[in-house]
Amino acid sequence: MHMADALVSPAVGGLMLAASAGAVAYSAYKCKDELDEKKIPLMGVMGAVIFAGQMINFTIPGTGSSGHIGGGILLAALLGPFPAFLTITAVLLIQALFFADGGLLALGANIWNMGFYACLLIYPLVFKPIVKKGLNPTRITVASIVSVVLALSLGAFSVVLETLASGITELPFVTFVGLMIPIHLAIGLVEGIVTGGILVFVYKMRPELLESSFQKTKLPKDISIKKVLGMLLAFAVVVGGGVSLFASANPDGLEWAMQNVTGTTELEAKGDVYTNAESIQETTAFLPDYTFKSSGDDGSAVGTSISGLVGGGITLLLAGGTGYLIYAIKRKKEKSA
Amino acid sequence: MNTINSLEEMAEGNTIIHHLHPMVKLITTILYLVLVISFDPYNITGLMVFAFYPVILMALSEIPYKPLLKRMLVALPFSFFAGLSNIIFDQKLAMMIGTIPVSYGVISFTTIIVKTVFTVMAVLILIATTSLPQISYQLLAIKVPKIIVEQIMLTYRYISVLLEQVSNMYTAYILRAPDAKGIKMKDMGIFVGQLLLKSFDRAENIYYAMKCRGYDGNYLYAKPNKINQIDWTYLLVVGVVLLLMRFFNLSQIIGSFL
Repeated sequence: MHMADALVSPAVGGLMLAASAGAVAYSAYKCKDELDEKKIPLMGVMGAVIFAGQMINFTIPGTGSSGHIGGGILLAALLGPFPAFLTITAVLLIQALFFADGGLLALGANIWNMGFYACLLIYPLVFKPIVKKGLNPTRITVASIVSVVLALSLGAFSVVLETLASGITELPFVTFVGLMIPIHLAIGLVEGIVTGGILVFVYKMRPELLESSFQKTKLPKDISIKKVLGMLLAFAVVVGGGVSLFASANPDGLEWAMQNVTGTTELEAKGDVYTNAESIQETTAFLPDYTFKSSGDDGSAVGTSISGLVGGGITLLLAGGTGYLIYAIKRKKEKSA
Repeated sequence: MNTINSLEEMAEGNTIIHHLHPMVKLITTILYLVLVISFDPYNITGLMVFAFYPVILMALSEIPYKPLLKRMLVALPFSFFAGLSNIIFDQKLAMMIGTIPVSYGVISFTTIIVKTVFTVMAVLILIATTSLPQISYQLLAIKVPKIIVEQIMLTYRYISVLLEQVSNMYTAYILRAPDAKGIKMKDMGIFVGQLLLKSFDRAENIYYAMKCRGYDGNYLYAKPNKINQIDWTYLLVVGVVLLLMRFFNLSQIIGSFL
């Protein structure tokens, strides 16, 4: 579910970064109040556990395929929602930087899809109420399965919204949702069972770990849930009202911003450089004369794209050549030194 | 699993790029990402010029390209499948190359892949020339709360330790279950549960060790260097060049000279 940079537009990426940054800042603020310093190393190591845990594939019975845990609900149950959210954020950042798993600009979207829903929304609103009457293996398992399925579906739905708002994929909305939701329901079910298994094991071996995490990080019922709901509402308004501006048919974010500033999206058309280049092009370019000028207006568009393609190819060669040249010069210098 | 530190080892190189101020590198990388992904899905030729940035930076910083390309492959599948639908759903004819028809869907698909390659390269180059502690200091400098930065540093520090532990546990499991292709789902709870319990104890020990060395909730950081003239020049030159590349279709201009 990690989104790469190429799958979001700057507008959507920026919006999600802002939303996630807000949630991260709020969590950090909450942690400052409630967390003792002893928990900081624990959060670090737990982040590493989730990271390592995601690399262990388990077999899914009867299918021959395998899956791995995501870990949002697991972390929230062991650490409490706010430390868990910060931990997930750190894991996602490291994955983005070192493993090309999700992009740097898409980081906001990824934190939101995989961290926010699980830790700050589903955990307090679904997981906690289910186990409220007291911990036992059945309740833990049920709570885990329901929570993981819900969190994953919400995340998958957000991925659909974000790519569509970015105008990246041509998949019709209904088809896309129809593909993403069922598969994530299945994944969620399996991950929920495994998460439940892990939590039940921890509960049986060291019950005080789970119990203490429930007592210490108890959410003040009246405030926190309202705030979380408020955040979600704000997000819905922004997505509903704002994102439609950036749909694929419209100018992209940068052009949109330029248009608002300058009144046109085509700054370059008026520059001196462009007119110069154009006049040079008219006198020296062989492609327009050679192929396309005779074929009238229709042909010139094709001419532009062909010269663009040829230029693109040459550009790639030039770029590669430049890189090689720098290498070669460096080698020579090293040898002579 | 054991290649995890190779990128960070590269970050200890001794080249012009490695010596640049981390903040400057962070800003130019983000500018590059924004400019690349802001391209129209059908403007593939304008995008091509952006190949210069990763190629030149890799050459200047002497990063070997093989490990970088390997990591890039990880990022491609998701973009590939997201883009694949464009070929199927957008079959309007854009142009003919010789006798081969090219649809808009194919063009936008190619753009997605090219964008993925460029953006992933840019981030990997950033990491291969800048160590995580350096980036963390910059996060502190722009007032990111301490707890988040410490969280990132500690998580990163212990990833390799725990991966080693997981690898040992996994070997032990597989030796006892020769036919299994992975860990059976019914054993997964116990497997990860064990790892969790061990990690809890480890975290406690780490805390005591930190306490013995004077930890009072505050991590001590070395002061990062100041941004000097070379850094400003780099920022200015790269910034201007990238913006020029975004707003002028250089590929087309080059192509039209021929």
